[in-house]
Amino acid sequence: MSDDTRILSVRGLNVQIPIPGSTLWPVRDVNIDVGRGETVAVVGESGCGKSLTALAIMGLLPRQAKVQSEALRLNAESLAEASPKRWRQLRGDRIAMIFQDPMTALDPCYRIGDQMCEILQQHRKISRSAAMKRSLDLLGKVGIPAPEERLKQYPHQLSGGLRQRVMIAMALLCEPELIIADEPTTALDVTIQAQILRLLRDIQRETNIGLLLITHDLGVVAGMADRIVVMYGGEVVEVGTCDQVLAQPLHPYTEGLVRSIPVPGETEQGEALGYIPGIVPRQVGERTACGFVDRCPYATSACREEPIAMRDAGDGRLMRCILPTDGSARDPDVWILPDETSAQSATNSGSL
Amino acid sequence: MPEVLTMRGVTRDYSVGSGFARKQTLRALRGVDLGVERGKTLGLVGESGCGKSTLAKILLGVEEPTSGEVLVGGKPIQSYDRIERARLIQPVFQDPYSSLNPRMTVEAIIAAPMRVRGEGGRSLQAKVHELAGEVGLPRHLVEAYPSQLSGGQRQRVAIARALIGEPEILICDEPTSALDVSVQSQILNLLHNLKRQLNLTMILISHNLAVVHHLADDVAVMYLGQIVERGPSRDIFEAARHPYSDALLKAVLPPRAGVRLPEMGLEAEFPSPVNPPSGCTFHPRCQKARALCAEQAPCRTDADAEHSYRCHFPNNLKDEECPQV
Repeated sequence: MSDDTRILSVRGLNVQIPIPGSTLWPVRDVNIDVGRGETVAVVGESGCGKSLTALAIMGLLPRQAKVQSEALRLNAESLAEASPKRWRQLRGDRIAMIFQDPMTALDPCYRIGDQMCEILQQHRKISRSAAMKRSLDLLGKVGIPAPEERLKQYPHQLSGGLRQRVMIAMALLCEPELIIADEPTTALDVTIQAQILRLLRDIQRETNIGLLLITHDLGVVAGMADRIVVMYGGEVVEVGTCDQVLAQPLHPYTEGLVRSIPVPGETEQGEALGYIPGIVPRQVGERTACGFVDRCPYATSACREEPIAMRDAGDGRLMRCILPTDGSARDPDVWILPDETSAQSATNSGSL
Repeated sequence: MPEVLTMRGVTRDYSVGSGFARKQTLRALRGVDLGVERGKTLGLVGESGCGKSTLAKILLGVEEPTSGEVLVGGKPIQSYDRIERARLIQPVFQDPYSSLNPRMTVEAIIAAPMRVRGEGGRSLQAKVHELAGEVGLPRHLVEAYPSQLSGGQRQRVAIARALIGEPEILICDEPTSALDVSVQSQILNLLHNLKRQLNLTMILISHNLAVVHHLADDVAVMYLGQIVERGPSRDIFEAARHPYSDALLKAVLPPRAGVRLPEMGLEAEFPSPVNPPSGCTFHPRCQKARALCAEQAPCRTDADAEHSYRCHFPNNLKDEECPQV
């Protein structure tokens, strides 16, 4: 991607949080680029650092969290040196965020219209009536029926799907260049999920906004993303286009994830599903080995000697693994393990 | 095969509105007929607000039906007292972070249903340890507290607690929704193995159709307090008759390259159960709806002995074959 189409560029992002006796390191050396009109999905399970990465990009982490980066740029502007005042100007204007749970993200005490006008009047010199007009237009645009009435309603009077549409309309008010959506459909019904995703995608195509989609759901990713960034243990472990990563995952963690999801029409009823043994370790201190080594069925002694660097896997793909990049030396059945009992008692006898 | 669980015309009303608001009746279940054979798993799917959880509460005896009857093993559920009922039916809840008492050890949590019945001592302890092993909990965690466990391990504790009294029926309400995908698959494997080994009858409530496809023998699709389609899992997944079942199936997003977002055609809002639409309650959201649908509620129609649906104009049927035209 050339520099002039890049909206967001994150290099070497680290987040450290002091805890009694040591320091948690939930985000390590993360690089992410988002281009104009591009959807980049950050995928991983709970505790992989995806949400903290999003909050760090938004400058929303609490003060005790130490955020360091080599570069954090929105267009040409470096956000790393931005003052709190500049951050307030940027948030809601140039970068907007859509949160998982619209009920907690909207203020229950204010009408929808008031909440929307506040954003516009904060960022633009605009009269209240003009702000209401624009809010009304946007509510219509995100497919909310009877938008005039909705402007006068409170969040609790709306259904979950409508609230998420309001969140999307709010994010669009100032025509941002980048939207960060953190699990935007996780709190919604599956039928509503498809509608909201379609809406997000249509609006993004129309306005050429960059979309950073944070999700744990590979199905959502498949329908939405141009590129995928897979995170595990605070690190990016794999980067590639959506089709590349889903069709032929390179990092064992991605492979394990893909193998553990039942798909109607492909997996048979009751067929043993793959799974990733063990649990996500706490992220403390410097890496001395591959972060995934304790859960990886392909692990060798070489994986324990030093931290694994990101490397080029060809076709614009990146992976943080020493396995061959052509996908040889892989075995899809390696993820079909006997139940945790035997797997765990084996590892436990070693560690205790 | 005898039905171990039967519901006939079960209706449940709630009274909503307080203060100055007029009291209104919310009919959460409207005449549900359902039977589950021993050793079978019934998947119950539908959007939030369709009455899945009310149904689960009635089956657990937490709520009484307003009308209709629930038979367990051929006898009305009211004829069992609490302990007898708990011996037959056990729940596994969605969120293992809130369904386990944080101040009890895993051992005490799993043993609790037996202690209520007055059992205890070494034999119970041995049984707890054996069961903990069967559900895949490592030995050293039996003395731990829930806060020391991962989400998947907690759900294993919840499953062990449900199984210790050797119940006949297990009611799983979204058993994997709170878990990460790589852990979800372990719990699905475990539930499938347990179901086979113990010949458990299971009601699996889930919004995730992939999960239902994986575990269920039969599927019932609920919409606004009614079962709109019911049949063997294979029939529902391959040849759904009701347009709503069809829409739910389309909404599944498989994690595969080249998958496109589905055209849902469910644009209208989920209706309020206080004020249900006339005729077929699904008609305002249905793309195939015609005038008849707004006027007359469709009756239950049998596609074959096992597969039934409530729709005037079902999928895969020509007009002249439609049941009630």
